[in-house]
Amino acid sequence: MNTEALKDLLYKIADDQLILGHKNSEWTGFGPILEEDIAFSSMAQDKVGQSWQMYKLLNELGESDPDTVAFMRNADQFHNCQFVELPNGEYDFSLIRHFLFDTAEMIRFNYLAASSYEPLSLLSKKIKGEIKYHTMHANIWMKQLGSATEESIIRLQSSLDYAMPYALGIFEHSKFEEELIKEGIFRGEEAIKADWLEQVKSILDQTKLTMPVINNLTPVLGGRYGHHTDHLQPMLNEMSEVFNEDPTADW
Amino acid sequence: MILKSLDPRVNRLSIKDNAEEPEVIKVSLDQFETYECFVQVKEGKPLEHVGPVHAPNEEMAFLFAKEQYSRRGMFCNSICVIKTENIKASDFTDNKEDVYNLVTNSPTDNQDESFEVFHLMKRGKHHKYEGNVLAKDFDDAMAVAKKEFQSEKPVFNVWITKSEDILASGEEDKDIWDTLKEKQYRDATDYRAADKIKAFKEKQV
Repeated sequence: MNTEALKDLLYKIADDQLILGHKNSEWTGFGPILEEDIAFSSMAQDKVGQSWQMYKLLNELGESDPDTVAFMRNADQFHNCQFVELPNGEYDFSLIRHFLFDTAEMIRFNYLAASSYEPLSLLSKKIKGEIKYHTMHANIWMKQLGSATEESIIRLQSSLDYAMPYALGIFEHSKFEEELIKEGIFRGEEAIKADWLEQVKSILDQTKLTMPVINNLTPVLGGRYGHHTDHLQPMLNEMSEVFNEDPTADW
Repeated sequence: MILKSLDPRVNRLSIKDNAEEPEVIKVSLDQFETYECFVQVKEGKPLEHVGPVHAPNEEMAFLFAKEQYSRRGMFCNSICVIKTENIKASDFTDNKEDVYNLVTNSPTDNQDESFEVFHLMKRGKHHKYEGNVLAKDFDDAMAVAKKEFQSEKPVFNVWITKSEDILASGEEDKDIWDTLKEKQYRDATDYRAADKIKAFKEKQV
């Protein structure tokens, strides 16, 4: 088993979940209606919880404990894609990001449920239902607002067009792509991307939204190798503010 | 002046702190319709009413109900939602009088439509699912329910809805609650605040 390759895979998945979970949690108390505020906040909590379990797997492989890994690293040590660190913007962008990211995550964990690395396949099976609700939530919102009023359709479409190059960055190849596939740990980013394009399109086809022409777009890459936008470091500073007050505090 | 808060998210919104008029004026009663939500905690237990959600349609109501009413607790087996206006409520009774005693019509034997029946067995508690009846209309369903479900225990109120007006989670979707029992952090008790306060006070002495 190539441990370096495995760690690289776990880090990128966990970092995506932690950062997006934190971004989505910024909606708590600000959601469009109370019911949605609660639903979106719950899912944000789920994401942070998933990242914690991933960091625990990393801990078993010799990395620091989850709190240290989550709160004590700088932006250039994070492996998340740039898509998840973008500011929330208006609710239309947050919903589009939720839809595009969670569709990919669902496919990713379905594959990982068959991983040759048993701790990862067990965890994937355990959280599959959680992510299923997340995609259910995203799809129903897309169908609702993607066919509702002129304003909702225009807003979602412009967020979709803006988000797509970043979303393609989810599938940035790691330098261990071949090893991971060969060892049966993971099917690889290209396999996920192919399924993802199909599923995203099948939902958009049920709305008045248009799938952007993927071949005309340049994916925003670099996140998996520690290259980030200027948004990430200030977000990390804010996220770790309370932890840094007293890293030994017991909550 | 811009509203200042200890919460950086509020500051980022740049809200005027002297706004007299809301930016968008809503027409009164311009709000989503309500749906009643029911939760079945475990297989074999009845679906029990838990409360309403506001939503623009049945599917969205289902989404909201899931997090609104089954985000805490150890188990959840299924949920369902029914648009409030599609539930027909009987009269209320009190003082141990059975509401079915107020029903005087007899079943018609016309079984064209399927209805679901919920009973309120204790004032102040929630309605629980009782069973399914086939009948001509709501009044007829009430008469059939009396025949099928009346017992020595008085029922104080009955809700009846057409079966087709219920949106319920499917058998294959039970896994959306798989990790529920691990979310104890959503319950205040998990933080053992009283213990911590006690320990803190003892340290002060």
